[in-house]
Amino acid sequence: MIQPALFRSTLLGLAFLIFWEAVVRLTHTSVLVLPAPTVILESLWRGLTNGFLWPHMAQTLSEVVLGLALGSSMGFLGGLVVGQSKKWRTLLMPFIVTSQVVPKLALAPLFIVWFGFGILPTVVMTALICFFPLLENTSTSMQQVDPHQLELFQMLRANAWQTLWRLKLPSGLPGIMAGLRVAVVLAWVGAVVGEFIGSGKGLGALIIAAQGSMDTPLMFAVLSIITALGLLFYKICEYLEHHLLTTYTTLSERTPHEPI
Amino acid sequence: MSFLNLSCIEYAYPQQGKVVDGVSLELKPGEIHCLVGRSGCGKTTVLKLAAGLLRPLKGEIRLQQLKVTEPKIEMGFVFQSPTLLNWLSVLDNVLLPISLHRTITSTDHAHATRLLEQMGLTEKTDHRPHHLSGGQQSRVAIARALITQPQILFMDEPFASLDAITREELQSEFLNICKAQGTAALFVTHDMNEAVYLADQVSLMHKGRIESQLHIDLDRPRPNRVRYTPHFNALCEKLQRNMESLT
Repeated sequence: MIQPALFRSTLLGLAFLIFWEAVVRLTHTSVLVLPAPTVILESLWRGLTNGFLWPHMAQTLSEVVLGLALGSSMGFLGGLVVGQSKKWRTLLMPFIVTSQVVPKLALAPLFIVWFGFGILPTVVMTALICFFPLLENTSTSMQQVDPHQLELFQMLRANAWQTLWRLKLPSGLPGIMAGLRVAVVLAWVGAVVGEFIGSGKGLGALIIAAQGSMDTPLMFAVLSIITALGLLFYKICEYLEHHLLTTYTTLSERTPHEPI
Repeated sequence: MSFLNLSCIEYAYPQQGKVVDGVSLELKPGEIHCLVGRSGCGKTTVLKLAAGLLRPLKGEIRLQQLKVTEPKIEMGFVFQSPTLLNWLSVLDNVLLPISLHRTITSTDHAHATRLLEQMGLTEKTDHRPHHLSGGQQSRVAIARALITQPQILFMDEPFASLDAITREELQSEFLNICKAQGTAALFVTHDMNEAVYLADQVSLMHKGRIESQLHIDLDRPRPNRVRYTPHFNALCEKLQRNMESLT
């Protein structure tokens, strides 16, 4: 059964596409300015069936996955360190904030000098962009643990590791996952814009190439691929969050049972 | 021989004056000692000092002759708020004190289930704490403190958020459990009735000092009807008068 809300959203989306198609056809808008959805779909279909789009998708996808994995794991670990110890926080925070104020996209030319024109500069930039949301959210979540619960763990003679794994991480999980959701969205921005600047391959590079050859339907086709993949990543992230939040470590070996 | 001994304890929070000023008290094994007083008189701080959660600036605390510098395995603590972990089931919350130190056995499981049964929460073992009412959460917190079979319980107004009937039931249950396991208790409350019903000894605190002590000579076990006897009421009245004379 499709949920009514989902059904209504789909209906609205379809209505929008039909409106778009109608406006373009009735006003005879040039395909260079705004192609009709059917034209875009045709371009997309051609690109997918003749295999032209796949290598570009693979390139961008690997940049996003690598950058996201690298950046968010570093951000998470950094957040743990900064969140656990006040000493490290006061020492490192000025540098971390400074590094984030520098617009990272402006670093792209420098990265090309350092890492060449391959996949590496874009991965590094994506990682840099994903780093901060995880760091910020993890360290904030670590510090926002209920002082009463900390006192309880002190009373139960838990050591620092147990307090981290059994209290601070599970109680901070919603905040950390919110950081990951932001990072997942930003990762696509990082990868695509990185490719704009210094790459001959990938979906971002393809948009620039399509602009050069005035192939507006292809630009839209690539945009829709980026949107679909971005949505997919966001959904995976949501699923992961839901899964972690509902089944987080139960002590006794029973299937967790959540009453409604 | 004293079981728990506090001698001339002093404590001050940073940027505040002294909150505990020369408190001494003594508990025999199995004795229930109530600390009463107005809000802010330092009774919770005394409790945390006795449990080793805070270190006194002066004086020392001994449990079975050994100096207390941190919480010990013989202790159980029930906080003012239930402080349950929302991501664990009720049963796992009760088992938490054990699971932090060793793996859970089937005996532990049975013990936890029995405690929850005693607290009238049999049907709630698999629920998450936020599905429970405030009173039920308090009872889970008490079961959690009892799971390690502590020799001394520190209770910080654990029944304050409950309705009158549940409170009286839990008070009787608490006395039964203490008697069955020979548990001593240091019990903080602002309810005179509760103090007289539970305690062997009541200490009245005011501005960080123990101003007076009252021995409760009611027989044990104490059935609920003891609350309506003239002697019980006379003790409550005396305590109330002592408190009023301090303002």
